[in-house]
Amino acid sequence: MLMEVRGVSLRFGGVVALDDVSFDIAKGEIRAIIGPNGAGKSSMLNVINGFYRPQQGDIWYRGQKRESGKPHKIAGEGIARTFQNIALFEGMSALDNIMCGRLTLVRSGFWKQLLWWGPAEREEFEHRERVEHIIDFLEIQAIRKTPVGQLPYGLQKRVELGRALASEPTLLLLDEPMAGMNNEEKEDMCRFVLDVNEELGTTIVLIEHDMGVVMDIADRVVVMDHGQLIADGIPAEIMHNQDVIDAYLGVAH
Amino acid sequence: MQQLLYAAEVSLNGLTTGVLYSLVALGYVLIFKSSGVFNYSQGVMVLFAALTLVGLQRGQVPFAHLWTAMFGTHTYFFGWTLAPAIAVILTLGIMVLLAILVERLILKHLVNQHPIILFMATIGLAYFIEGFGDLLWGSEVKKLDIGLPVGISETVEAWTAEWFGYGFFIDRLDLFAGLVAAVLVGLLTLLLRYSQLGRTLRAVADDHQAALSVGISLRLVWVFVWSAAGFVALVAGIMWGAKSGVQFSLSLIALKALPVLMLGGFTSIRGAIVGGLIIGVGEKLFDFLAGPIIGGATENWFAYVLALAFLMFRPQGLFGEKIIERV
Amino acid sequence: MFYREVGDYKTTYADDSQTFPIRFDRLRYFFVLFVAIAIVPLWIDDYWSNAVLVPFLVWSVAAIGLNILTGYCGQISLGTGGFMAVGAFACYKLMTQFPELNIVFCILASGIVTSAVGIVFGLPSLRIKGFYLAVATLAAQFFLVWLFNKVPWFYNYSFSGQITAPERTVFGLPVTGPNVEPWAQYLICLAFVFVLAWGARNLTRGALGRKWMAIRDMDIAAEIIGVDPLRAKLSAFAISSFYVGVAGALYFAVYLGAVEATEAFGINQSFLVLFMIIIGGLGSIFGALIGAAFMVLMPIVLKNILTGGLNWEPSLATHVEFMLVGCLIMVFLIAEPHGISQLWNIAKQKLRLWPFPH
Repeated sequence: MLMEVRGVSLRFGGVVALDDVSFDIAKGEIRAIIGPNGAGKSSMLNVINGFYRPQQGDIWYRGQKRESGKPHKIAGEGIARTFQNIALFEGMSALDNIMCGRLTLVRSGFWKQLLWWGPAEREEFEHRERVEHIIDFLEIQAIRKTPVGQLPYGLQKRVELGRALASEPTLLLLDEPMAGMNNEEKEDMCRFVLDVNEELGTTIVLIEHDMGVVMDIADRVVVMDHGQLIADGIPAEIMHNQDVIDAYLGVAH
Repeated sequence: MQQLLYAAEVSLNGLTTGVLYSLVALGYVLIFKSSGVFNYSQGVMVLFAALTLVGLQRGQVPFAHLWTAMFGTHTYFFGWTLAPAIAVILTLGIMVLLAILVERLILKHLVNQHPIILFMATIGLAYFIEGFGDLLWGSEVKKLDIGLPVGISETVEAWTAEWFGYGFFIDRLDLFAGLVAAVLVGLLTLLLRYSQLGRTLRAVADDHQAALSVGISLRLVWVFVWSAAGFVALVAGIMWGAKSGVQFSLSLIALKALPVLMLGGFTSIRGAIVGGLIIGVGEKLFDFLAGPIIGGATENWFAYVLALAFLMFRPQGLFGEKIIERV
Repeated sequence: MFYREVGDYKTTYADDSQTFPIRFDRLRYFFVLFVAIAIVPLWIDDYWSNAVLVPFLVWSVAAIGLNILTGYCGQISLGTGGFMAVGAFACYKLMTQFPELNIVFCILASGIVTSAVGIVFGLPSLRIKGFYLAVATLAAQFFLVWLFNKVPWFYNYSFSGQITAPERTVFGLPVTGPNVEPWAQYLICLAFVFVLAWGARNLTRGALGRKWMAIRDMDIAAEIIGVDPLRAKLSAFAISSFYVGVAGALYFAVYLGAVEATEAFGINQSFLVLFMIIIGGLGSIFGALIGAAFMVLMPIVLKNILTGGLNWEPSLATHVEFMLVGCLIMVFLIAEPHGISQLWNIAKQKLRLWPFPH
């Protein structure tokens, strides 16, 4: 198991966002989290990457219990994510945004960067080369020097995925990567997700509302409602789980 | 015992200075609460209001120095004086005009900009108003006198002498300022809490887009709050001006309202008042106790350092709303 | 027509990310450098050195420093004057306590001292954001200036509270003190500006610069992709303060020769530097230089026209200057938040296509 979530509870004041949630994430799988709005899906991702610290429960990552909760440290341990509301750096170009994804991998220290010539410059171009691969992979060559604020929504989502991929994560968290996209864009995004999973062996956790997409690409699915986990299994099982149908798919036929 | 009484007198004087800080801070809160703009120029608005009031009252020729430089007119006064009440009303009109111009020329173009950009724009506005005010009325120190009570209050001195055997020296003007501030705060609180206008203002402060979509005219609201801030600036300008003369340092004193706000929270009228009092008393008392040891004139920085230290523990201020970060 | 990238193909990433991607720009850069180093010192006189070039160079260093903090890292500071005072007084203490120490080291060491002070006052930035922080930096401004005014140790117990720079030499040439030649003054400042601007460019184009910009654009997202906000912000404060401190040391030792804390390093100086970077361009080293040039030249030009040409009182010219500066700030923030440097870029874009814009 790459990660285990054990008995996590999260409260904001009196509001219970997560209530004793436990599940695991296997290495190399695509794990979907589904549930109605307000079910606690995004909160779950925020706990996984350390942005929220749960009041109860532990996160076990690569066989070790997580002790410190600093998000930037957790990013350094190989967990990357995208956001439900795009969180790109608007003052920078697409290229610079993706280069930011590699910040955790930079080795040159302050003095080398100050001098620039030599090691820092060489390292910069190594990173640039890896980033160019990602740009090719995501087919966004034409917009690399465009400020991200000027890009349409679909491309912004792609740049954000690129930024997450640039850090070469072990575990990639995608928060509604296909929300607000048309079918064509969704197909593209699905292809990217599957390719990342297959070619790079990256483990992926994704939140998605489009059940068709989830059933097609997820290996296993967690279903949440009102902060609780109500089902966990392969898509085919989930489809026929009565609790899930009641809570999420609505009226049973 | 004597020392304690001194300290009490110093605190009391600090309290009245604090009231004036609160008055200026109130202007900041009004604008911030309803437009999210942190109006750095509020301090200069105080100066501008006071300058204008004095200028109108004394019948000064606007831009007299400029005309003299350009045409050699050397006419600085019309030769009449206005009654204080009329001068105050005219000044108020000019502050409203200023509010309209600010909305038309600046705010309209900066909607939905980053707060920092808005903040820096108001620094530019402060510079402009300062230069404009000096060009309009001249930059020499002026006396402001609209017939407010001045001098040491003998009543207070007599009372305290009777009770403690030590007469406190309290300025009548300070007592009056305290009274005015209390009335002003009372009125504003009532207005914001119970009137339709107050609801509108709060709606705008909460979410510009949402307010627009329910049919609130943002521009009207802005003109209104900037006018109200202009009014508060005028009141503060009258008090400060009567106390220490109308001059540039007025806008620097008004800067002290910034730490007041940090202490009290930017969105709270109550905060502005309590913050002003704390800082007014704090800086006087600190200078009284520590000044002789570390060299005096600590009033220059004490307010800022106090606010800074306080914010380390409570970033939203005393009465500010706690900010929950989300992604 | 000659301003083209056609035929100047980029075949390596190094080519693609150079400072001046167009050949004409590179040539012009070397030309400007040549004029600044070889030609200007030949004709420079007291007036040009003291009124224009040296202040321009000194303020450039301060503006680069503030631009690192505000333009790149998004942390606004109104304490620049106070930090310049730290640099100046540190330099004075070093010069008088260690008379044999070379002035260049004194100035650099003053930068390091300021850097440490900057870190202390930068600590609140972790908890306080936006204009709250701006107000907090006012604490630094007022406290530091008060400190240098009230503690006699800082001005060596001099009667007037002034500090005066003794004569120090570089390669046997006096660069501070009463006997300094205008061109020596100019060259030492130029050397500092050149090296420091180059360093700033290197830092801002690499990983550290990206960390700062990530914090500026969206601090939460930056933290989640692995930027340590503590280190990013404090490094910005430290490096920015280093620049500002060096500027303060140059301002005192090389430019003015004698200063008094309240007059030379008041809050107006803080605003002046802030205006330089707003007008020149937030987040651009070139912008800092051009903003410094603008803010140094504008009052001189205005004074020459109004006082010299039209015979107005100097105080009137000052009022007009205030209004003009205020207007410019607002106009730039409304119309072009990236300042003159962005206008320059737009002009260059147009020039690339000229004379066939379609």
